[in-house]
Amino acid sequence: MAVTQYIHPLDKHLRLERIPTLYCPGCGLGIGLASMLRALDSRIKEGSIDPDKVFWVGGIGCSARMVFYVNYDSAHVIHGRAIPFAIGAVLANPELKAIVVGGDGDIAGIGGNHLLHAARRNVDLIVVMFTNFVYAMTGGQVAPTTPRGVKTTTTPRGNPEYPMNAVKLVTSLNANYVARASITTPHYIEQYFYKALGKKGFRFIEVVSACPEVYGRHIGLRNPVEMYNELKKRVKHKPKASIEEAEIDWDKGIVTGEFVDRDNPSYIEILRGEQSEI
Amino acid sequence: MHYPESTQLNLLRRTSSKFTVTVIVDRCKECGICIAVCPTKVLSISNMINKHGYRPPEPLNIDKCIGCKLCEYNCPDFAIFVEKVEQP
Ligand SMILES: Cc1ncc(C[n+]2csc(CCOP(=O)(O)OP(=O)(O)O)c2C)c(N)n1
Ligand code: SF4
Ligand code: SF4
Repeated sequence: MAVTQYIHPLDKHLRLERIPTLYCPGCGLGIGLASMLRALDSRIKEGSIDPDKVFWVGGIGCSARMVFYVNYDSAHVIHGRAIPFAIGAVLANPELKAIVVGGDGDIAGIGGNHLLHAARRNVDLIVVMFTNFVYAMTGGQVAPTTPRGVKTTTTPRGNPEYPMNAVKLVTSLNANYVARASITTPHYIEQYFYKALGKKGFRFIEVVSACPEVYGRHIGLRNPVEMYNELKKRVKHKPKASIEEAEIDWDKGIVTGEFVDRDNPSYIEILRGEQSEI
Repeated sequence: MHYPESTQLNLLRRTSSKFTVTVIVDRCKECGICIAVCPTKVLSISNMINKHGYRPPEPLNIDKCIGCKLCEYNCPDFAIFVEKVEQP
């Protein structure tokens, strides 16, 4: 058996035999995961969340692989299908706290349709989407979030497509909570995830991440510290930003903050007849 | 090179009158982020090589530590953490 001694403050939330992760040196995903675990730790310590009811679901990709490392019930499902899997679980057992993690490719690309309808129905789950601007695990193909002009393995002459803004998309639907943070400000990831854990309905957090290994290679920022610093420079935190301001643009800036925070009736509340909109 | 403490887990640990910074040596991947984010330059790369071939940071300037935990919060690998020294 590998290490079982808890030493780091987050060790009890991790499957230590799988640490270190398979992530590349300086990958932002570990920073995001640690921030989420700190928030979960606070919720568990204050008694507002029962760890046995926490359930993680991830599809395929470096980001989705997080579910492999957490010391909770978790499911690693097929590419793009983490959201429908989680919906099934919460409908069968509404006591579950479902946390979906995945990359921009998994959640907004192949799984994009599920994202729309889960947000529209305000289903009781949290989706944390890690945007690293590329399909990282498979070696750097263009993603729905890749900025225009970037040369990827599938766009060797530069990406001709316009990227999507998932925060604006989800905001146009019926989600109860929508926020964006960056791995260069881990305390905001923690704060937003903490808040999301205390709410009902559909909660979406986009975490802008650094992938020095693949995206960094495409844009000439292969060094993890340079990649981190370049991302940090582009992040503009606006605590009370309007949705029109929610830009995510590598050149013009990446606006982070909370964009939606409301308590519309959640899908489970509607199904149970606790709240009726009809 | 002399390291103050080494247990089964292989730790690099330094303590000032206020804070203890611990590096879990074999979790480090030498990304350099903790060294870059520390506002007071407490950390520097050590000349030790861990079991995966990476050189972990060492809290050499521990007396400068302000306990901000930026190193801990920005480490992608759960490899460094900061504790407040209990005052008697
Ligand atoms: C149905 C299916 N299609 C394609 C793949 C190949 N595949 C594996 S990971 C991945 C992309 C992952 O990108 P993203 O979701 O952005 O996650 P990241 O690795 O960037 O964190 C793809 C296309 C697959 N595993 N299954
Ligand atoms: S390929 Fe990119 S996203 Fe995947 S582990 Fe490496 S740095 Fe992280
Ligand atoms: S706690 Fe802050 S000051 Fe101390 S080593 Fe870490 S980053 Fe530097």
